Amino acid sequence: MTPVLDLRHVDVDLPLGGFLTRAGLPILRDVNLSVGRGESVALVGESGSGKTTLARAVMGLQAVTAGEVHFDGTAIAGRDGFSRLRRDAAMMFQDATASLSPRLTVGYLVTEPFRIHRQPLPDPARMARDLLATVGLPPAIADRYPHELSGGQARRVGVARALALRPRLVIADEPTAGLDVSVQAEVLNLMADLRRDMGLAYLIITHNLALVRHVADRIVVLYLGRVVEEGPTAQVFAAPAHPYTASLVAAEPKPDPRKRRADLAIRGEMPSVLRRPAGCEFHTRCPLARDLCRATAPDLRPTTSGRLARCHFADHHQEQGDHHALEN
Amino acid sequence: MSFALDPPSRGRRGMGRALLGDPMGLAGLVIVAAFVAMALLAPCIAPYDPVALDVKAKFVAPSAAHWAGTDHLGRDLLSRIIWGARLALGIAITSVGIAGAIGLVLGLVAGYGPRWLDSLLVLVFDSLSSLPMIFFALAVITVLGPGTATLILVIVLVSFPAYARLIRTQTLTLAGADFILAERAMGAGAGRIIFRHLLPNVVGPLVILICMDIPVIIMLEAGLSYLNLGVKPPSPSWGNILAEGYTSLRQAPHVVIVAGIPLVLATLGFTFLGEGLRDVLDPRGAGRRWT
Amino acid sequence: MTAVLEVQNLSVAYRMQGGALQAVRDVSLSVARGEVLGIMGESGCGKSTLAAAMINLLPAGARVGQGAVRLNGTDILRLPPAAQRALRGKSVAMVFQDPMTAFNPVLTIGRQLADFVGAHDTGLAQPERLAAMLTRVGIPDARSCLGRYPHELSGGMRQRVAIAAALLMQPDVLIADEPTTALDVTMEAQIIHLFRDLRTSFDGAIVIVTHHLGVIAELCDRVAVMYAGQVVEEGAVDAIFHDPQHPYTRALLACDPAVVDPSSGRLPTIGGRLPDLSAPPRGCAFEPRCRVAAVSCREPVPRQRPSAGRSVLCHRGAE
Repeated sequence: MTPVLDLRHVDVDLPLGGFLTRAGLPILRDVNLSVGRGESVALVGESGSGKTTLARAVMGLQAVTAGEVHFDGTAIAGRDGFSRLRRDAAMMFQDATASLSPRLTVGYLVTEPFRIHRQPLPDPARMARDLLATVGLPPAIADRYPHELSGGQARRVGVARALALRPRLVIADEPTAGLDVSVQAEVLNLMADLRRDMGLAYLIITHNLALVRHVADRIVVLYLGRVVEEGPTAQVFAAPAHPYTASLVAAEPKPDPRKRRADLAIRGEMPSVLRRPAGCEFHTRCPLARDLCRATAPDLRPTTSGRLARCHFADHHQEQGDHHALEN
Repeated sequence: MSFALDPPSRGRRGMGRALLGDPMGLAGLVIVAAFVAMALLAPCIAPYDPVALDVKAKFVAPSAAHWAGTDHLGRDLLSRIIWGARLALGIAITSVGIAGAIGLVLGLVAGYGPRWLDSLLVLVFDSLSSLPMIFFALAVITVLGPGTATLILVIVLVSFPAYARLIRTQTLTLAGADFILAERAMGAGAGRIIFRHLLPNVVGPLVILICMDIPVIIMLEAGLSYLNLGVKPPSPSWGNILAEGYTSLRQAPHVVIVAGIPLVLATLGFTFLGEGLRDVLDPRGAGRRWT
Repeated sequence: MTAVLEVQNLSVAYRMQGGALQAVRDVSLSVARGEVLGIMGESGCGKSTLAAAMINLLPAGARVGQGAVRLNGTDILRLPPAAQRALRGKSVAMVFQDPMTAFNPVLTIGRQLADFVGAHDTGLAQPERLAAMLTRVGIPDARSCLGRYPHELSGGMRQRVAIAAALLMQPDVLIADEPTTALDVTMEAQIIHLFRDLRTSFDGAIVIVTHHLGVIAELCDRVAVMYAGQVVEEGAVDAIFHDPQHPYTRALLACDPAVVDPSSGRLPTIGGRLPDLSAPPRGCAFEPRCRVAAVSCREPVPRQRPSAGRSVLCHRGAE
């Protein structure tokens, strides 16, 4: 079965804005990523790892420097390609309130996709009511302006608008950012229900691992614009193959004072993309780095457990359980 | 910092009430409304024909028959001022209307369109606004001859670049905003983004600027008419009344005084209204949560 | 242990059209030297207003109804303005969610840190002292950091500098409002660590205000849980997380995605919404959303004190 979304060897350089030079910041390097029908994939990494750039590249908001983006089996190119993509895929932004045009009512905003793609919209008011009902909002919300909504309501309006044209893929950038714990749970339940009812596929971009555990079938970890680990969520959390993934898992604050971490799982910050380290790009922060790591860059290779990891010692770590040492 | 509690939000309906609640804005609104009413109702409320001569009754001081007195040709000054309001507001509103529309469209296109078009338009705006206004006006009037149409053309040419630049700057800041990205991600075209999403968010500051510009234009019209380069003499322009009054300043000072009052009032009125609108319309003030 | 900062029966309201929004209602709290107090709650619970009142930085429109905030015994809400300024920063320092807004973008870090200190003690404004403080908060190459501008630093680094700035003032109380919310997990872990280190080396009190349960659990000694402007439960961190008494605390802990087993499918939610704080209910504010509510819950709630240092605002909590 062809995947809904398939990125093949994608590079993205962000233009530096020079007049004559074409040079850019090498944000993404050789990214392969696919999302199957009805599948939920989480893209995980720190800020600066290129997650948001990747989402924008998929939607055509950011030009791809090299490689191909395939949607539903065909390579996306040209005006028509993007127009079709933007009809069948929708994006939810990190700041839900800011992603709603401030001078228009919610009722107009949620039905706007119909107007943009010239789809029949015989009764806009009714359609708005129905869409708002799908995400559990009362019809009265249709008359409000974005700044009159709470964070959770704005998030739901974003979901309603994303669903308007019954897309096959929803790209969600930090879908629970800025929400309270109880509202987070509501939004995650809603996303799970919609996925089941409408057969949606999700690409969820986040650094919140608790969220990933609940909504993703598969996890793709990005570091400095490269995929460093990929595999089924439960397996990756149980035994991370890449030391970076292991440190992300260990860094998550545990809501239990009896499980306080004694020491830091990961020190320092991500290097700049302009000064990518030689060898394995993670070696500057890796607690397990050896001479080989400083000299030779590892490839993204299958591990013995059938996942992909960009680490010379992936299998070794897993056998030795080194990462569990990190957590304690 | 988030205080997390929604402050009383000011919706669209609350805007008029907010303007009425501000004493300065209210004063501006009342004065402007009075001038507009005066201009619209001129034929009904002017006690005399503004151009009818009555040489025997020249330089009559303000009296029961002539509330504002008469000028050197015996024309009733109150009627001339009322009709002058029609002329002054007509010219000012027409010209800022045209200049505002041009500025709005060109500013949006420059701000959201391709880079080369932006550079070209900015060059045009900068060239036009680098010309000294009075000399430019004099040059155009010398070529085309004085008259109302020329006056409007001059005002449009000198004022639209400032409007366009304001709109362009606003558009540039908004072009990277999340809601514009979201619209692009949904597949919205440039036309929809410009007119439905950018325009309503940039037009507020333009309205304020235009409101503040109207008195400047009324003054410009009066000034050019005073120099005999604007509205042609028999027409009751405030500038003409002043010019004519100036020649007989010693003999009949009331002419200059009564012609000066509406100019001062109109300036104050539009400026107050502009200030009031700024408080209400400014995107950083009204209708945004302050969390 | 004597309290450095004591909040006594504090009520704060915001003026609004047709009434007042009662953001903080009769809150009493105290924090001692060397202690880390966590104020935990969701948006709209009044935690940020309470934090602002603790440093007397309430926004315009906020009005203190009754109560006092005592710093070393002095009520800071009723000091003359000059004394308030002297107090702010010197005795109480605050760290905000987004440190970018706390810095002047056109001055170097060194200049700004010197200014922070300069307001109180010029003798400290030596580059060596500043660099030493930056090193203490975990900034590598502190000397070169002094010459940089705020935008050249990452979010995590800016938060460290903000903490350094606060510490330079040698405050008695350090208040941090959502100090890790704008950061990545990795940076969050590092800032949590930094606060933990500070706990042992800094002899003032630390107050952490956040909605993030993980941060509270990792960092705090004592926790006050806020709901609808009130402290509904207070106690030692272990007691709050392992023996919650108030139904709201229980519900909140239960719906954190970080504790729920992913295989269970759906996440628990609380349902309902906050009461209207312009007309707060006479009885328990959580009653309409509470699973164990009874008729008696509509009556004014007595504060129960089941054990030392523990308090629960619930009719049924102490059962």
